Amino acid sequence: MRNLRLVRRETPLAGGQFRAVLVGVVIALLVGVILLLATGNNPVSTYLRMLDGAFGSPRAWSNTLTRAVPLGLAGLAVAVAGSMGLWNIGAEGQIIAGAIGAAWVARLAPDLAGPLLIPLMLLGAVLGGAVLALGPALARARLGVSEIITTLMLNEVAIRIVRYLVNGPWKDPEGNNFPIAPEIPDQAKLPGLFERANIGVLIAAVVVGLFGWLVSRSAWGYELRIAGSSERTAEYVGISLRTKILTVLVMSGMFAGLAGGIELTGSASRLVEGVAGGWGFAGIIVAALALMRPSGVAAVAVAFGAVQIGGLSIQTQGVPAAIADILQALILFGALAAAVFGNYKLVRGEPATTLDTAGGAA
Amino acid sequence: MVNLWPDYPWGGPATIAFGAYSRHGGTRGTLVAPAQGQAVELDNIWKRFPGVIANAGASLRVKHGSVHAVLGENGAGKTTLMNVLAGVYRPDEGTLKLHGEDQSFAAPADAIAAGVGMVHQEFRLVPTFSVTENVVLGAAPRVLNRSALEDQVAALAERFGLATDPRREVWQLSMGERQRVEILKALWRDARVLILDEPTAVLTPVEAEELGRITAAMAADGRSIIFISHKLDEVTAFCDEATVLRGGETVAGNLAVSDLDAGRLGELMVGEATAVSQRRVRTTQPGASALDVTELRVVDLHGRHIVDGVSLSIASGEVLGIAGIAGNGQRPLADALAGLIPSTGSVQSGIHDLSSASPNERHRRGLSYVPEDRIGVGLAPRLSVADNAIMRTYRTDAQGLLIDQDKSVAHAKDLVERFNVKIADLHSPIAGLSGGNLQRLLVGREVDGNPTVLIAAQPTRGLDVQGVAAIQRVLLEQAEAGVAILLISEDLDELLALSDRLAVMHEGKIVAEFDPDKTTRGDVGVAMTGAVHAEGASA
Amino acid sequence: MNEQTLIGLVIAIIEFGTLLYLAALGELIAEKAGVLNLGVEGMMAFGGMAAFWAGVETGNPWIALVVAAIAGTALAAVHAVISVVLGADQVVSGLALTILGLAMAAFLGKDLVSKPVGTQFRELDLGPLSDIPWIGETLFSMSALSWLALALGVATWFVFTRTSTGLALRAVGESAATADAAGLPVVRTRVIAVMIGGALAGMSGAYLTLLLAPGWSEGTTAGRGWIAVALVIFGAWRPGRVLIGALLFGGLIALEPRLQTFGVEISPILLSMLPYLLTIGVLILLSIRSRNRPSAAPAAIGQTWRREER
Repeated sequence: MRNLRLVRRETPLAGGQFRAVLVGVVIALLVGVILLLATGNNPVSTYLRMLDGAFGSPRAWSNTLTRAVPLGLAGLAVAVAGSMGLWNIGAEGQIIAGAIGAAWVARLAPDLAGPLLIPLMLLGAVLGGAVLALGPALARARLGVSEIITTLMLNEVAIRIVRYLVNGPWKDPEGNNFPIAPEIPDQAKLPGLFERANIGVLIAAVVVGLFGWLVSRSAWGYELRIAGSSERTAEYVGISLRTKILTVLVMSGMFAGLAGGIELTGSASRLVEGVAGGWGFAGIIVAALALMRPSGVAAVAVAFGAVQIGGLSIQTQGVPAAIADILQALILFGALAAAVFGNYKLVRGEPATTLDTAGGAA
Repeated sequence: MVNLWPDYPWGGPATIAFGAYSRHGGTRGTLVAPAQGQAVELDNIWKRFPGVIANAGASLRVKHGSVHAVLGENGAGKTTLMNVLAGVYRPDEGTLKLHGEDQSFAAPADAIAAGVGMVHQEFRLVPTFSVTENVVLGAAPRVLNRSALEDQVAALAERFGLATDPRREVWQLSMGERQRVEILKALWRDARVLILDEPTAVLTPVEAEELGRITAAMAADGRSIIFISHKLDEVTAFCDEATVLRGGETVAGNLAVSDLDAGRLGELMVGEATAVSQRRVRTTQPGASALDVTELRVVDLHGRHIVDGVSLSIASGEVLGIAGIAGNGQRPLADALAGLIPSTGSVQSGIHDLSSASPNERHRRGLSYVPEDRIGVGLAPRLSVADNAIMRTYRTDAQGLLIDQDKSVAHAKDLVERFNVKIADLHSPIAGLSGGNLQRLLVGREVDGNPTVLIAAQPTRGLDVQGVAAIQRVLLEQAEAGVAILLISEDLDELLALSDRLAVMHEGKIVAEFDPDKTTRGDVGVAMTGAVHAEGASA
Repeated sequence: MNEQTLIGLVIAIIEFGTLLYLAALGELIAEKAGVLNLGVEGMMAFGGMAAFWAGVETGNPWIALVVAAIAGTALAAVHAVISVVLGADQVVSGLALTILGLAMAAFLGKDLVSKPVGTQFRELDLGPLSDIPWIGETLFSMSALSWLALALGVATWFVFTRTSTGLALRAVGESAATADAAGLPVVRTRVIAVMIGGALAGMSGAYLTLLLAPGWSEGTTAGRGWIAVALVIFGAWRPGRVLIGALLFGGLIALEPRLQTFGVEISPILLSMLPYLLTIGVLILLSIRSRNRPSAAPAAIGQTWRREER
């Protein structure tokens, strides 16, 4: 044991990252089997039922895709920031801020026609997310304050703002004293697509696809990737880091905000405290599994949407839906661990010779 | 004992005099403790790394209570040999004895326990810890009595003339003071053998002089000091004996420093057979002035002028070399000229005033820059070869918002072929490339697009022989093609070989300028210390 | 307002302060060794569930406390292996740990939700001391866990500033390469620090489910773990200041339901944002202050360390 240690491979394993995700899935499913057996459930039938609940019918597909919307947009938010080496841990709060922004527009102009009101609400949502991300963005760009903690803290602030609104000024007078806001007007709801899915799925697909493409193909995205690889290289090439940090973090907030807007105008139809549903945090895992590449977010988001919807569908059997969250976290842990072995190998032997050659040996 | 170590009786005194802090001249006999045999005996050490033999039968004998210089060019295997002695590497072959006893180190901790201390070039200190905390770290009593420890550290410091305040935090200290803390760390662990890896590189002349006194005091205390260097002047000033390494082998052991001759020593270090950089042969004459810098100043965070009123001009087709001990303003000079850090003064390139231009604009006006840190400044490590190749052209080659993929790949392919960069795949990250290939890519990218001025900072540092030759060839081709080149290097031979004019920087100023055809390493070396304005200096 | 409400407030401050301090102290130890662990919320929930389960099974609060500490340690070990031993990103790993901890607590604790409380910590009766007016009713009546938290705080301070162990731990968190060169075991130190952090977060969870809000339900941690993360920053990584911060933030939580009693016309919900906003403020002040000097944060926090990459 003492002699085991990690040594960097001279060339990373080909396709190591993809394999790592597969390993993560396998590990997660195996641990899940243990947990299910320990709680007296049949793992095989549980997994099959989850699969059926997620993909078994058009309705299942519609649920899965609907859930993939906030996951994908939050994942995009995290991945766009992550391409530049920034952490937006605040997607959860920005989703809430987006939902608040959209709800606010609906309150201000409840009588506008749908084709006008819906875009305005989504704009309000985007702005809401941007506003919440602006503070951390400024603090990071101007003062160098770590955006990890500031965005994290603002999640809790956003939760309390929405709690305040639905318990106070925006509380539905006809809501039987529940902490909910009034339902948005009918014409403000997103048109349906199929079964339970609405056109939010299309909007999210376009946004995620477009920005995934832009990050990998545009000059703007190229600069982002340079800055993410090395800030000093970015300065050397003449990229203004401050502007970049500011725009990227605010843009990241906008994506998460849009998720909140689609949620409100789509499935939720009224502002409630749990409007973000933990999807902002799940989005971080989505982005991490997509290796912070916006182009990979969509696929992971659909997969995670399936895990979550599958988890919900087994609740009727008495298996807690939390199994979905457990699987998600374990997939990530498994993939993180496996990814390390794509770049490193486990070796037994004397540690001294593994050190890099010093300058004298070059 | 069989004497494997014949003396090399060369006549003539050392050519560079450092009377101010020389250990020699009357005091020598008293400073060295009575001979009690060898403190260190490294015999026939072999150490191979993938693709490189760092030590090929190197040997080293250090007498008890002496200051012993280990000399050699970059890549001679000095650092590897010292890392073997410090327990960082385990040798593939060879034996190590300390004070006559066989030793085998599995880890640095073993070497520390055996009384070997090493002061690395980059200090290993915790900035937010006090001097005392740094000194006792890893070798402290279970419960710390602060004031008692501080007194002990102060007493230890006083004993060897290492003036430091044990209560101050390290981030507040100068580089010289930090080095003293490192030495104190070794002494606190009662190191009997102390390795100083190029200790004067970061020091001011006054601090270096101080270090000479400290090493003498430690030797007088019966400790053995190994002083790694590639500078003859320090060796003659501080050391008793010297061992010269070349190509991983010991080419001369235990030379008496008082008998050293710069010419012979240089020959030993460089080797007669090794092709030294070829002196540049001009076929064209310098043209009009391409870069004019007047009174350039850079102020650091602490308000110090790290570039202090530098004026220079370079004609097109001309190579201006900048020599100097590391940390005398060469790096900020280059960064300021490239526009990466703020500066005052005027920078003119032809008709363009670049004094306040952005890095981008400077590059557009024909100023290219090969920075000292290839990876992390000049190149982005996680991006692919293709992505790194287009850093200077993506703006002009873009099609609207988008990068032209075909053009970018074609451009990368072109650079890779023209500059002989060996890569596996255009689309895999550059992090896996060797130093030589990285530098070929970087230099190639910077000279592509016909710059008028090229700033090259340490362009051949750490490269293998072919790499050095390839980069130097590119630089000379560029000069022939009419590019004005500012060449900053720590390799004096390279500077002497490639430059048309050679300026020396010291403490942020240009203190001397030489004609490389009419000067010697020694003259330039003296100017680098800033102590003397050498004859023949025309600046 | 009468005397009894005020005493009630002080007791509540101590109780919430204890909850936050235990968890924050654990996070402080991990961060001082250079490891950010954003899994506090998850470890707290998992520890709380485990403690409640053990309480139901054994009826002994101390056994329950130990079980909670073990549960927290076990979760923290996942973070330690992933982010310290294998060197994955600390931020991602910590957040995933929160998700895992909350979900595991919900999953395994499903049948505990309706269960009656098996055991709980009670106020400590220190005899005549507890009879002193005011101080006796508050400080000298607080539970043994509050005393334990205080003792752990003092012990942490002592270890950090007065022992070689603490010096080594801080060195590992400031500069792993320096610590390694001094012969200190970087990875082992970090792993142990993270696991101690997990144990304390688990104990904090036990305090929640066995004293502060006896019982188990999903969501009972209600974001308190994030406050613990905030507290470490608010207290500028010092055990003493973190204690002050814990009492302050604990006080804000304690005030929430009492605002109306005191006749203050602010929504308690808005008041509950203050800890997070104050932490952001402190973070900004710290970064302005550290322009010309090293930051108060451990310099190596968030950084993976492997010996070969020196």
